[in-house]
Amino acid sequence: MNNSFPRLIDGMCATLRTEVLSRLDDEFARGQVFGVINLLNTFKSRADWSTDFLSQQLSVQCHALEQVRALIGNVAHAPEVAKLRTPQIVSPAELLSLRDSANLEISKLLDWLAKAKESLPEATALAIESELRQSMRREIEIELKNSPRPLFAEMSSGQESPN
Amino acid sequence: MNEELLPVQIADYLQQQTGHVVQVGPLKRFAVGFSWKTYLVPIAGGLPEADGATELILRLGPSDGLFAPYSAMPEFLSMRSLESSGIPVPKAYWASDDSETFGAPFLFSQKVNGAAVVPWVPVNTPPLDEAYRKSLGAEFIDALAALHAVDWSDRPIAQMAQGINIQNAALTNVLYWEKQIERWAMRPYPAAQWAIRWLKNHCPVAPRVAIIHGDYRTGNFLEENGHITAILDWELVHLGDPHEDIGWVSMPMYMGGSSHFCRLTEPEWFYQRYSEKVGFQVSMASVKYYRAFSLLKLAATHMAAARCFEEGRFNDLRMPAMGSQIATCLRQLEKTIESPL
Repeated sequence: MNNSFPRLIDGMCATLRTEVLSRLDDEFARGQVFGVINLLNTFKSRADWSTDFLSQQLSVQCHALEQVRALIGNVAHAPEVAKLRTPQIVSPAELLSLRDSANLEISKLLDWLAKAKESLPEATALAIESELRQSMRREIEIELKNSPRPLFAEMSSGQESPN
Repeated sequence: MNEELLPVQIADYLQQQTGHVVQVGPLKRFAVGFSWKTYLVPIAGGLPEADGATELILRLGPSDGLFAPYSAMPEFLSMRSLESSGIPVPKAYWASDDSETFGAPFLFSQKVNGAAVVPWVPVNTPPLDEAYRKSLGAEFIDALAALHAVDWSDRPIAQMAQGINIQNAALTNVLYWEKQIERWAMRPYPAAQWAIRWLKNHCPVAPRVAIIHGDYRTGNFLEENGHITAILDWELVHLGDPHEDIGWVSMPMYMGGSSHFCRLTEPEWFYQRYSEKVGFQVSMASVKYYRAFSLLKLAATHMAAARCFEEGRFNDLRMPAMGSQIATCLRQLEKTIESPL
């Protein structure tokens, strides 16, 4: 795929709006198309090409270059082969799992704090609560920063909004 | 549930109920609603047993829908309870939780003329015409106050009382929705857990136990020429603290970028007019409490939408879009709890 991910999403949304919706009369079906557009817009801000897919390609390339470097190591006037390393890439699945584990830990600590608050020095209890809630707040802010405007009006009416 | 067979199945069912042949025309499915499926059912020649109606509304609660399994009974009992109450509610004709007939619980009701005012509008949408807004706003407040003033104790909805009283109404609700979150959330949400703890520790006493619509807002009533013709979508109806519906009405996501509840009423006007009509003074502490509760309930609904889609229960593409709004609800929830009265 040679086009950028965001540009492809823009193209898909534009096609659905100009080529599909303009020829579609059924209200429910139109609502579904707006649902697709809404999701595509979410992908645009949160997704990109799979790192697994790119890692596989890069790994093959690095392996080939390593092999060639070894083969031409003693050859006179051979070109220098660049040393590339496959970076340690954490998969999205691992990141999601880590995020959930962290949230579970935060939930447990909030539960504990609610029960233990009275027995803790006030400043300590406040500082712990502040840290935990700040982290909850920041997680939500980051989520919202990466969310497009929802198309609820369009999805429930099947009609394009005036703007 | 086979939608192609549905017109024939409807004709058969109506024939069983009325004892005569009923001819059903092509169905139209509405885009509205995120859980029950809603169809317009044309009836050739009209149906005497349904006040001569030439069109009926059929609502089907599919087994794979949001918060399924469904029961048609809360909606049916509430609509029956409100007949002749003066509250604009469509007449309910037939309903059943038996999935043999259409593959899902169902409800046939009156088709009422009118259009829904959309609660979600783009940022630059001009406000509603002032006279129209005030006319509709007044009826919006009055209908809610009238609903909360209904003496339900001798009406069909009393079947749903289940020991609820002014002391336990809030906690009963929080525990119910906590269970819903445990059931539907696909990952831990510390912000929701933190809010549930706050809600459990701040339960208000209800001024009375009333019929609660459960989803009272623009989008869930029809209007014609500035007058409400029907209040719809009673599937979340239950008995509880009247402030619960006010909390739902006051959620920021239904203000459509305006400073008006549900794009219709100034908050002060709402509180004053509602208090006069309902017969008790609105408690601002309870409104804040139930606004927070409503945001938790909405977050739970979005969690359920995301999970149902993820598990392949359905492919309705509006559901994952709803699921993306959990963070919005949780942010507003924290803000509400932290806000002064």
